[in-house]
Amino acid sequence: MDDLKKLYGEMLLLRHFDQQCMDLKKKDIIYSGYHPYEGQEGVAVGFCGALRGDDVLLSTHRPHCHAVAKGCTLEAVLTEMMGRVTGCSGGLGGAMQFLAPEDNFYCGSVVGSNVGLATGFAMAMKQNKTDSVCMCLFGDGASNHGTFHEGLNLAAIWNLPVVFVCENNQFAEAMPVEEFVSCERISARAKGYGLEEITVDANDVEEARRVAEEAIEKCRRGEGPVLIEAVTYRIKGHYVGDPEATYRDPKDVEAAREKEPLKRAKEKLLEAGVDEAELDAMQEAVVAKLARLETWALEQEFPTLEAAVDHVGIALENAPEVRGPQSLVL
Amino acid sequence: MPTVTFGEAIRQAYDEEMTRDKNVCLIGEDVGRWGSLYRSSRGLLEKFGPDQIKDTPISEAAIAGCGVGAAAMGMRPIVEIMYIDFISISMDQIVNHAAKWRQLSNGKVKLPMVFKTQGGAGRRNSSQHSQCLENWFVYVPGLITVMPSTPYDVKGLLKSAIRDDNPVVFIEHKSLYFDKGEVPEEEYLIPLGVADVKRVGEDLTIVATSWMVSFALKAAEQLQEEGISCEVIDPRTLWPLDKDTIIKSVRKTGRCMVVTEASAEGGWSGEVSSVVHEHCFSDLRSPVKRHCGMRTGIPYGPTLEMQCIPSAESIAGAARDLVAQEVTAAGAAL
Repeated sequence: MDDLKKLYGEMLLLRHFDQQCMDLKKKDIIYSGYHPYEGQEGVAVGFCGALRGDDVLLSTHRPHCHAVAKGCTLEAVLTEMMGRVTGCSGGLGGAMQFLAPEDNFYCGSVVGSNVGLATGFAMAMKQNKTDSVCMCLFGDGASNHGTFHEGLNLAAIWNLPVVFVCENNQFAEAMPVEEFVSCERISARAKGYGLEEITVDANDVEEARRVAEEAIEKCRRGEGPVLIEAVTYRIKGHYVGDPEATYRDPKDVEAAREKEPLKRAKEKLLEAGVDEAELDAMQEAVVAKLARLETWALEQEFPTLEAAVDHVGIALENAPEVRGPQSLVL
Repeated sequence: MPTVTFGEAIRQAYDEEMTRDKNVCLIGEDVGRWGSLYRSSRGLLEKFGPDQIKDTPISEAAIAGCGVGAAAMGMRPIVEIMYIDFISISMDQIVNHAAKWRQLSNGKVKLPMVFKTQGGAGRRNSSQHSQCLENWFVYVPGLITVMPSTPYDVKGLLKSAIRDDNPVVFIEHKSLYFDKGEVPEEEYLIPLGVADVKRVGEDLTIVATSWMVSFALKAAEQLQEEGISCEVIDPRTLWPLDKDTIIKSVRKTGRCMVVTEASAEGGWSGEVSSVVHEHCFSDLRSPVKRHCGMRTGIPYGPTLEMQCIPSAESIAGAARDLVAQEVTAAGAAL
């Protein structure tokens, strides 16, 4: 039960972190579209948390919990979303796109692109003869993107060490998955690329972790790529305040709450005889930690205009004109 | 000095850079067995093997993304897009990722990669295989855009592009691959962002790119016989633009004409014109003229195709008109 308790603790942190971000979004301290993660923690903890530091994770426009599970600090992730210099991208990326190469974490807000990017990371890993792997997370919506199909095929013909994880949260923005995916299971598309069809109920965090580890090991052995459909449910809207009533029945959300990964893990722990007081104490510790984090985060500085153009106007040897707002080089 | 074709100069650049650095690799459709559409990588698969020469499926989005990912991991990929017309499929990876990652990582990620492609008319390929799309890339911050015009330039510029830590869009011209020129045996580099004065003159500055450089030089020869002395500048790198060389020249000649195969509307030629007007207004004897391709899809037949883009004759004609035009201090043409 210690393993499950650990996974539960990690999910608990992400649940409260997501809630905190949502509150900060409502206060306009996080500025951009914010994509809540509630209900999907089984994927972040089960899959992203299974990676090593030298493995690369490519995430989506809903990246904050993936990033923390991969090993980015809460400080760097939260202050990035708040646009502060201490953020992963120095506050230049925000809540939907930031890069943390020191933690081998990359994400972006164009749906589907990262399936193409993953092939390059994995090609370099394979060529460098390391046993690192690249994990590429994307949503159900991305599985209809051209780059998904191009990237899957390329990874398959080159036997690249990529674990492709389709985080099926049942909705692409406001479109229910059954309306826009032509097959019953997205994982069935794996067969088209000569890969095994793997589906996992990612609301069962232990099962998600088991499937993730198996896929990662397979890629480390040079038997990649792997495509997994990780089934979950997006409990909140696509973004904070989206018109949910236009695309789903509140009863469906209530039903999903019965199956969400924290509830399930907690029930299992209690059944196994874990003391509820212990779980409550874990929660209190998380809440206190996040409160300290927020106090610290609010004190951090915003980037300057110079930072905004620094890495666009990169020095070019012998370039006749460089720098300054008048002459952005690149 | 040996004389080689434009295509051979490219092959030499690959050969030297791949020998020098095993992280340099070429990724693209038929770059291996075929040795690329215009044979510019012929023999390299045999010499360097599949780690450095990678034939890919027809998947321009995936291979562009593959290049970005590999570059972020420290490789130096050259992604070849067979025709620039197909680069439309790669645009997400180039514009949203390659061009953004250095800034988005706050400088922590380097992207030493080249998107190498070829464009332009002259081979009867009609409107989906003949376009000049360089203007798209000039507009995107974070990209360097290069258009070489000679065998000497293509070799030196390609080697610099491969060694640069920024994404470079390197656009060759399909009608130049079999042109010949002198290329020294000893190694050399041409820095990105530096123009070349291809011909020195006194009366008119012609700024021309890619295939148009050779036409501008032919026109300049003809005009010399008529007593009009033209200075021909090839910027070589469209962005960052070597403004100084152009400004210095126009201050001397007092006249400027920009010649591109791409149509003028909304394009880089307008940018050059603006730079000249902003910096040389009091030196100008007449407004900057743009002599560019027609705003149309390239038609199939050879007669129409060549009528849609500038020629040596049309450049000479436009230059005569410009030199004949004089402007008062108030700006009204006489």
